[in-house]
Amino acid sequence: MRRIFRDTCILFALAVLSVFVMSIIWVGITDEIKLVLQLFVLSFVIAFGNYFLDEYVTLPMIGSYVVKYITATAAVMLFGFIAGWFYRSNFWMAFIYVGIVLVIAYFIDAFRIKRDIDYINSGIKNKQK
Amino acid sequence: MRIEKRHVEGRPLTVIVEYPEWNNSVASLIGRIEKMDLSFVGKSEDRSVSIGISDIYYIENVERKLFLYTKDEVFRLDGTMPDIESKIPDTGLVRISRTCIMNTDKLREIKQIRNSHLEAVLDNDEKLIVSRKYLPDIKKVFKKEEV
Repeated sequence: MRRIFRDTCILFALAVLSVFVMSIIWVGITDEIKLVLQLFVLSFVIAFGNYFLDEYVTLPMIGSYVVKYITATAAVMLFGFIAGWFYRSNFWMAFIYVGIVLVIAYFIDAFRIKRDIDYINSGIKNKQK
Repeated sequence: MRIEKRHVEGRPLTVIVEYPEWNNSVASLIGRIEKMDLSFVGKSEDRSVSIGISDIYYIENVERKLFLYTKDEVFRLDGTMPDIESKIPDTGLVRISRTCIMNTDKLREIKQIRNSHLEAVLDNDEKLIVSRKYLPDIKKVFKKEEV
């Protein structure tokens, strides 16, 4: 099931990419395409920041997610103001958008870590038998 | 596959692989055996010692200097972490943080301690901090062994 879901995501990304490329060639960069490209660049910036946080900052899991929340929100707000996503009155929406994504990511991460630890420890036990 | 074991006094550990025809499985088996024979040259005061992979507990990078830890000795290693990493694929050695490579054969347990930090407990009761980022890499070693 996991493999089917992964393949679906890859296929979906390729389908979106090919439709976008065709649209850019025939119609040019529309507002929707511009927004998706901006989201892609923003995602890259955040992923790049997260990589450095994971590699060079040793914090407890919650601490690391708080730092990621602050840096990602700052990136979204900065990017949003440059790209004109927010009005000055509703910039706080960035906190909610980033918060939702990070809360989901935190729980997925916590679940994955627990599962990996159990797998490794059972592997050690099997080896010792 | 038939496995024959013989105790021969006074000779080094010898593995003979007989195969009807050379194929990927044979090549992979020999590759694994060769990796088991991997060793590093460690320096301690004025002597150099060859340390087999099965004696290594972990390798640590401290202020750009590499140190190799066995059960109860420490040796200085030449080279860099990337140098070491390039030699260890398909062995039990795996990176567990930015500054440490651990031998999973010496691992007794991994546990989540307070503040969600991860800790690896080794056979000799030493404890190492594991970065969450490298946990999937440790899992991969055990997955490979399962196969």
